[in-house]
Amino acid sequence: MKVLAYSSFTFSYLNRARVLFESLRRHHPDWELVALMTDEPPPGFDFDPASEPFDRVVWASDLGIPNFKSWLFKHDIIEVSTAVKGPFIHQACAGGADVVIYLDPDTTLFAPLDPLLDWLGDHDILLTPHLIDPNDDHMAILDNDISTLRTGIYNLGFVAIRTTGEGARFAKWWNDRLLSYCYDDIPTGLFVDQRWCDHVPALFDKVKVIRDPGYNVASWNLSRRTLAVGKDGAITVNGYPLRFWHFTKLGPLGDVMTKRYAGDNFPVYEIWAWYKRQVAAATDPAIPDRWWAYGRFADGEPIEKAQRVLYRQRGDLQAAYPDPFASGRGTFQDWLAHEAA
Amino acid sequence: MSGAILTLARRGTAWARRRLNAERRVVAAEFDRNYYLAVNPDVAVTGADPLDHFLAHGWREGRDPNGRFSVVEYLNDNPDVVAAGVNPFAHYLRSGRAEGRTPAHDMGFRYRILARQIRPQDQLDAAARATLGVKIGTPAQLSAGLASSRTGLRDLHITFSHDDYRTNVGGVQLCIQREAAGLVERGHDHLHLCPPVAWPMLRLAGEEGRLLVLLNGRPLGTFPPAVIAEALARVPASGGVRSFAVHSLLGHTADETIAIVRAAGLGAGFFWLHDYASLCAGYNLLRNNVEDCAAPPPNSAACGICIYGPWRGPQAAAHATLFAGLDLTVVSPAARTLDFWRASGAPPISRAVVHPHATLAPRGPAPRPSADRPLRVAYVGWPVAHKGWPLFQQLALRYAGDPRYAFHHLGARAEPGLPVSFREVRVTAEQPAAMQAALEAAEIDVLIFWPLWRETFSFTVYEAIAAGCAVITGPDSGNVAAMVEAQDAGWVLETPDALEAAFASGEVAKLARARRASMLYDMTLSGMTLDLIPAIP
Repeated sequence: MKVLAYSSFTFSYLNRARVLFESLRRHHPDWELVALMTDEPPPGFDFDPASEPFDRVVWASDLGIPNFKSWLFKHDIIEVSTAVKGPFIHQACAGGADVVIYLDPDTTLFAPLDPLLDWLGDHDILLTPHLIDPNDDHMAILDNDISTLRTGIYNLGFVAIRTTGEGARFAKWWNDRLLSYCYDDIPTGLFVDQRWCDHVPALFDKVKVIRDPGYNVASWNLSRRTLAVGKDGAITVNGYPLRFWHFTKLGPLGDVMTKRYAGDNFPVYEIWAWYKRQVAAATDPAIPDRWWAYGRFADGEPIEKAQRVLYRQRGDLQAAYPDPFASGRGTFQDWLAHEAA
Repeated sequence: MSGAILTLARRGTAWARRRLNAERRVVAAEFDRNYYLAVNPDVAVTGADPLDHFLAHGWREGRDPNGRFSVVEYLNDNPDVVAAGVNPFAHYLRSGRAEGRTPAHDMGFRYRILARQIRPQDQLDAAARATLGVKIGTPAQLSAGLASSRTGLRDLHITFSHDDYRTNVGGVQLCIQREAAGLVERGHDHLHLCPPVAWPMLRLAGEEGRLLVLLNGRPLGTFPPAVIAEALARVPASGGVRSFAVHSLLGHTADETIAIVRAAGLGAGFFWLHDYASLCAGYNLLRNNVEDCAAPPPNSAACGICIYGPWRGPQAAAHATLFAGLDLTVVSPAARTLDFWRASGAPPISRAVVHPHATLAPRGPAPRPSADRPLRVAYVGWPVAHKGWPLFQQLALRYAGDPRYAFHHLGARAEPGLPVSFREVRVTAEQPAAMQAALEAAEIDVLIFWPLWRETFSFTVYEAIAAGCAVITGPDSGNVAAMVEAQDAGWVLETPDALEAAFASGEVAKLARARRASMLYDMTLSGMTLDLIPAIP
């Protein structure tokens, strides 16, 4: 079975992606590993894909998205990094792979993902919910159960499909929706690529919701998951092998939520400490902090979220300024400075 | 200031005072003055009333009112309390507790160990930096130093370890001190080789070596290992008694050690299992310094997340080189230690012996104290996590004031702010039985000794048993559990929860001296390697 695993990210997440791809390569040396990047290398950073722990890079600009610059401008970094997952998985269905697996760059494997392939014998689409056990503590309900009602039942840091049948039909549908509606707009009912997938069990057959606690362990489900490290060297979650962890929000917020729900379950802190060491070792100082090539106009002025939202809401502006990143007279930036006020 | 404004200001001050007084009444009930002063020595030196300080400033500075409430965590968890700007402890006592809010997140002592963890590379860098200033002696200086020997190095015992046994404290150092004392009695020479500063791991091939040379307890200087080998090669054995023992290979390389031993005309010698450095660079087999790992397969997930994981292979390979290059008899201070080592990927060996560091000879029954005094529960030694201090501390805090129990700490350093009576006891070469005598005199009923790592041998458990104490330990404590089981000297409990349950129910009182037929013993230290080497050729 030919398996393709991909992750979508920008250069500021290259360090995390390196840790993910190294873990994928360690556990699945025969899988094709693809980095889907919506970015351009920062000046002074010599990006050599051949020396990275993935097999190839696909640039978002090469996905054939119509009016790419205009489309890109409508999204912030998170929106676009999630939006391109749709076109890629749709195109990958015609690329020769039997199975395509998406993993967020801040996930890492701790054991092989072989059971996924077994499940894909009977199912075409695999999803991991944020929660597989309900909380009954007030704060945990607020932080986790209610939060996921806003952002989506399934965590789209992971999805796996067969490239035929319902898997292919899902990929086409997701592609179509994400090209037009992949925004962080919770009041409208949208949360990037993720909220859409609440529809998946209703819209598609052969969907498996993975209720094994070893998959997609993260701060949002630690309240109901307990880690243990056995004398045999295995790491388990509620007694099941730990397959992959989702290190959401590496930093103070992630620390607070992890501590709140891990309590004295110390292997959680061992794993976090390990991950921080790996990311630090994989960090290239030549990549500026928070680098994103598409975060600024051509003259270097930062693009504000409100400017992106305005552009995406106004068809006339999109028609008038097909390259909204441009600087100088007669550009969208010029219009913002003189007309928008 | 106009009269009206002054009146308003006075009213405001009066209101603030009333509010503070109301807070004071609420907080005082559960405020721990001793705790506050112990953990805030800067407040203690000012002489300020600790409760006043907490109410006026302390909570705003993140200081906790007792050991069970965390100001910082409560504010992190409760943005509404932050927005209200009220004293978080007062909020908790007035309403937060009834609403089910969490007073503190107990992340446990292991969280604190992990937060302070020093990576092996940083430990090595620190050792290398500390070595930089060490002056390196010349071959002539070494030859001159060796000339001051007792026998012209004819009768010579060479020991290898990770540090200077005279100036550092610990079980390995005590063993080498015993060996050194035995060699004085025999009139033989003792050459000790170790890195000039304690070294956390083996040196790998290609790393520059520096070894401190001690001859009969006197430092001759620090020399490259090759210089030491050359100097020994110039003094042939010529019919004397020569021997060697590797107590620890940390700070040495296998090849240099083999070269030194061969230069002394030796091939057969002893390798001590004081720890598990021959299995992993984490020599006490504590994964990330927090939990016994039991030396799982090197490619396991556990080794994958351990700070010692990447260092395990090279360290085990170096020991394999040593075992292949020399004819070593493995000496284990306990059968359980040897059994575990053999089952855990140890290098192939030709011979092994079990030789305990101490033996116990019955002295007679321990006197029975009155049955109605509180159970005396003790901890012995440095208050450190890997010896089980956090569990003892937790019990002492939870059962402070419980008439069933009295908590004692015997050691060199007290831990402040705890409801524990401390007795200073120092074990020295002149007073080797000081701890046993102190435990006996204090009529300690139960020793809580719950090391995190599987101790290869424990002087503490021997001292406690000799003093007639019962010992409670955990399942991962190695020879501590083995001794407790073999001597029927207490309990080996599966989990800390079981320990807590025994205190909650009072079942632990079954271990009281008044209810056990406990014995007293005389403890005799062995001669270590010298017991295994014939005194006369």
